[in-house]
Amino acid sequence: MVIVQEADFNEAELVAQLRERTAGKAGSIVTFTGYVRDYASNKTTQSLYLDHYPGMCEREIESICATAQTRWNTLGAVVMHRVGELRYKEKIVFIAVACAHRGDAFNACQYIIDALKTRAPFWKRETLASGERFWVQQHEADFVKATQWESD
Amino acid sequence: MSGAAIKVLYFAQVAELVQVRQESWPLMQAVTGAAWLRQLESRYPQLAPARRLKLAVNQRHIAHDMLIAPGDEVAVFEPVTGG
Repeated sequence: MVIVQEADFNEAELVAQLRERTAGKAGSIVTFTGYVRDYASNKTTQSLYLDHYPGMCEREIESICATAQTRWNTLGAVVMHRVGELRYKEKIVFIAVACAHRGDAFNACQYIIDALKTRAPFWKRETLASGERFWVQQHEADFVKATQWESD
Repeated sequence: MSGAAIKVLYFAQVAELVQVRQESWPLMQAVTGAAWLRQLESRYPQLAPARRLKLAVNQRHIAHDMLIAPGDEVAVFEPVTGG
């Protein structure tokens, strides 16, 4: 299940829905939550704006989840990603993955966030407490992490 | 969408630089992504500060040697930064 929305979300409800769908089969559910944080230790963030490509975001994340299902036998996955104006400390993204075994669930969850960061068409614009505003550039490390999954 | 044009979508910093989110672009025959990007950069020289322009065609990422054809939806953007 992939959801892209402006509104905040309740992680516990999303996990409960996944649990209901997979209970008895899934021995583990692994989750990841991403939050708005300071851009750097000396650059305090005030807010984050997320632009996105409606339709393509959902399509890319569905494709990423399908790959995770093939590689790690996921029994279910939930990806929630917010867009629009997000305030400091708010949630940005949530991923929950259900698998029979924990090793697969950890790997699938990490793969999904790593692949999402390099493939799903979202773009962050930072507004710092100082008033400075800029579009975030993709980190080389994120690209390296995502490509490592292809060779593993 | 008429057969002799593409629908072009701009996102994030690219949209700010060209000051438009969406437009129709005349295209009579298929061209490579690289060739079309040269047309784009010639029409919008203000794109120079944008690093590493990426393309998606009909909501799929494409390499710059792949073709863009009349009727396609083409998106232009910098490397994604979600998550």
